[in-house]
Amino acid sequence: MSEASGSGDLSSSWSSGAELPSTSRNGAVPQRTQSRLSSRPPASGDEGEEPEASGERPTQPEGAGDERSRRMIRNQYRELIYNVQQNREDMLSSKSNRLTEALEEANKLFSGVSCAREAVLDAQFLVLASNLGKEKANELHSEMTAFDSLAFAEDLLTFMGINRIEVEDNDSDSEGISGGYLPSNAWQKLGEETEKYFRRAPSFHYMLGSFKSDPPVPRQRIERQKKATGGEEKRAMPAQLKKMEESHQEATEKEVERILGLLQTHFKNDPDTPISFFDLVIDPNSFARTVENIFHVSFIIRDGFARLKLDDDKLPIIEPSKDNEGREDDRGAGARNQVVLSLSHQEWKEIVETYEITEPMISPPCQRNEDEMEIP
Amino acid sequence: MSQRKRSKVSGFSQGDDGDEDFNVSQTPTHSQVQRNLERRSQDQVNQKVSELVQFLLVKDQKKIPIKRADILKKVIREYRDVYSEIINRAGRTLQEVFGLQLVEIDTRHHIYILTSNLPRAEGENLRRDNQTAKLGLLIIILSFIFMRGNSAKDGAVWEFLRRLRVQPGERHEVFGDVKKLVTEEFVRQKYLEITPIPLTDPPEFKYQWGPRAAKETSKKDVLRFVAKIQGKDPTFWTSQYTEAEATP
Repeated sequence: MSEASGSGDLSSSWSSGAELPSTSRNGAVPQRTQSRLSSRPPASGDEGEEPEASGERPTQPEGAGDERSRRMIRNQYRELIYNVQQNREDMLSSKSNRLTEALEEANKLFSGVSCAREAVLDAQFLVLASNLGKEKANELHSEMTAFDSLAFAEDLLTFMGINRIEVEDNDSDSEGISGGYLPSNAWQKLGEETEKYFRRAPSFHYMLGSFKSDPPVPRQRIERQKKATGGEEKRAMPAQLKKMEESHQEATEKEVERILGLLQTHFKNDPDTPISFFDLVIDPNSFARTVENIFHVSFIIRDGFARLKLDDDKLPIIEPSKDNEGREDDRGAGARNQVVLSLSHQEWKEIVETYEITEPMISPPCQRNEDEMEIP
Repeated sequence: MSQRKRSKVSGFSQGDDGDEDFNVSQTPTHSQVQRNLERRSQDQVNQKVSELVQFLLVKDQKKIPIKRADILKKVIREYRDVYSEIINRAGRTLQEVFGLQLVEIDTRHHIYILTSNLPRAEGENLRRDNQTAKLGLLIIILSFIFMRGNSAKDGAVWEFLRRLRVQPGERHEVFGDVKKLVTEEFVRQKYLEITPIPLTDPPEFKYQWGPRAAKETSKKDVLRFVAKIQGKDPTFWTSQYTEAEATP
């Protein structure tokens, strides 16, 4: 819509009543004014001037400053709409003139409206106001007294024993809620009164108590089950582990003792010649057994029953420790030696060939089945 | 309580068949029921009747309507050929022993509630819990709806409740989550019916009386309540009074 022509038509439309498209928009003003007039005659005095004022307004030239005032008008409209929506009950109350006041305010705002955007907001407000008007009309039946929900609410509060300490200074304000303090048994009191009006089947209770209401039961059951199984698992797990560890420990200990026995018989037979470490540990049939032997022998050495050193050819030999004292010494001196020995499968094969080992010095323990680890 | 458990346990042996609704929808005629009844031992049928009475009493504690499908599944089971007789006898027992009435509030979905037939004795409220307080809130909403012409918008209802210090968004010291109580519990219990109003944005809802409200109380009673609170005679509200008098 073109502003210039629109505004021109507007001013003329008031006097001539010509039927131009733009008049329909402004036509709302007198209509609305009329409806308001009928509902509240005393206000009619200053009504007549407003349409003239709005008629003059559009003839002014549109400028940059206008944009700001337009924005302000839109803002005011939105605020008005919001306020009306928030206080529906108040608007509808037969006692209050809030709806009339809101309409008056909108009328004032409309005097500044020159463009479609603001007019749309005005129309929006009008829809809201007419809806409220309709509801208000619904409540007003000619011959009867309307139900006043505000009074009902106040009477209910009184019945519930409200303690009105504060003076009602905020009545019919934005909140519309009168001050006061409700005692804690307020709703109980109302409820007891209410029961007289209900044919409600009384709910019973068990004299010796009962299970509490239904839903928690299955939940509890699930929890208990979970807990129980969880407990069992916990209990089972450590037991199993313990067993494994025990058996493993035992097996290792046994092996170590067996090897120590073997070693000691060798030393007894030939006390001065050290045994080649490789001769002792290498099992020509199994690499895995070899590694295991080394592992076991390391315990013997750690405990000081034998000593590992290099001979003149820089090859590792194992020899018995002299006596108990020496052992104690080693320990006491904190001679905790670490030896890292690498032995690859290839090296193991080479050692077997070089040393011409055909039979393991440490016979594989019979109870162990390590066939799958055997290397062909 | 034990009743339920028992039926649940034996339910396993029987197995769940989902087509019980279908079976019952072909309602047998009265003579058929009589013939079926002859085939059953009277003791067994009476046992079922007392099981059903107990079931209904326990189910009513939460005021959630009882569906026929549940009754069939949990109590009647293999006796569904004499279902109508069992439910009639259970209704009679409830009436004669407990002064309660078994009311079918929804004849299409076959939903039952219990209401009391006896006038409430004054000052005999042995049980104090917040059910009583909830009833107070309920009658306020029912009053509001009735006095406003049997229907009220959600916005209006909540604005009214706000005046009574009941805020939908806040935790109420008595009711807890009030919004949930009103829009879920009261609705599930069939005290209230909340329907969306078409073409509203943001969506608005219409609050009306639910079928249980109409059975447990009446427009006359609610008007009496409002009149008492406001210290007026019920005839003060002419149209509501004529309407209340016209409704049974």
